[in-house]
Amino acid sequence: MTPTATMRLALLLCLALPGVAAATAYHVQQDESTLGFTATFQGAAFQGSFSRWHADIRFDPARLANSKFDVTVDTTSAATGDADRDGALPGADFFNATKYPQAHYLTTGFTRLDGSRAIAHGNLTLRGVSHPLNLTVTFTPQPDGTALMDVTGTLKRLDYGVGGGEYADTSVIGDNVTIQAHLVLSTK
Amino acid sequence: MLRNDAYRWGAVAKFFHWTIALLILGNGVFGLLMDLASTPMQKVNWLALHKSIGLTVLALFVLRLLWRLGNRPPRELPAPRWQLLAARAVHGLLYVLVAALPLSGWWFNSVRGYPLQFFKLFNLPAIAAKNPDLRRLSHEVHEYLFWFLLLVLLAHVGAALKHHVFDRDDVLRRMWPFARLRHGPKGDSA
Repeated sequence: MTPTATMRLALLLCLALPGVAAATAYHVQQDESTLGFTATFQGAAFQGSFSRWHADIRFDPARLANSKFDVTVDTTSAATGDADRDGALPGADFFNATKYPQAHYLTTGFTRLDGSRAIAHGNLTLRGVSHPLNLTVTFTPQPDGTALMDVTGTLKRLDYGVGGGEYADTSVIGDNVTIQAHLVLSTK
Repeated sequence: MLRNDAYRWGAVAKFFHWTIALLILGNGVFGLLMDLASTPMQKVNWLALHKSIGLTVLALFVLRLLWRLGNRPPRELPAPRWQLLAARAVHGLLYVLVAALPLSGWWFNSVRGYPLQFFKLFNLPAIAAKNPDLRRLSHEVHEYLFWFLLLVLLAHVGAALKHHVFDRDDVLRRMWPFARLRHGPKGDSA
């Protein structure tokens, strides 16, 4: 095969298999990004946030097949603005952080919603339990080449045994917990 | 009779008086025993019940006040002037304390930043901003108000018994459910 023919073939392959090209790998601007949750206690919502977490983000709305989230969260780093609650969260009844110091989320695929939104399919491993968790991703590229990404999804805490035993009473502590992440991304 | 007449309290006034008395006393003792909860979650549930009962007292107090404003109390029985004044002072103080106890609890709950839920039915807003500096003070105000209420109640109950046992008049009977008056007109009792 002549070099020209090889190049033509390569070009053809690229056109035929656009998904093979890797999605953009981003660097998370940790200082400007947040990862937190909203839960309910006695009918009132409260916010929590994690101070230590790491996210590997590869994302391109046009190349979802090659996009990937790999997120690790330090379960001892949750703060909710209440000393009693923050003292209880890492304990054995809730995150059991001594035994399970990390939560992990890994995507298995994405579904396009529209030009800027997609559903991330993946598994969350929390407190040693893995469950499928879908997240809604809103991706907003910025003129300067950075991008904003807002991620939200809802899990059931009891699926993971968070707050088991007498804390399983969902009339006091709601089962649904909403995850929210706001990521400021720059290209690597 | 639902309404008061010149001789005795009506059924509605009696209902408010005795229901509030039982609830506020029971809830006060319950509040003092909170630390006996064996688990944190039990304490959370006990506190939630304590708060709901306290809100019930506050709601009953508002209704009672409205009822009283539209319904003249029975005539005061003859007594030395100082006793009439003392009785009015004690009654006024009890009204203030019946309102102040739940309100101070609400304040304590607010500065502590706790949610306030009425029997798991709906939530009520905070009446003060969360403020860790006021936690101790608001707790003590709430608790000491109850001790003060007990003190005033001692005078109230003591005076009622004095009238009943020594003066043998109708002061207690006209508030007592279903009691017949000794000296008043005969007729329906409520």
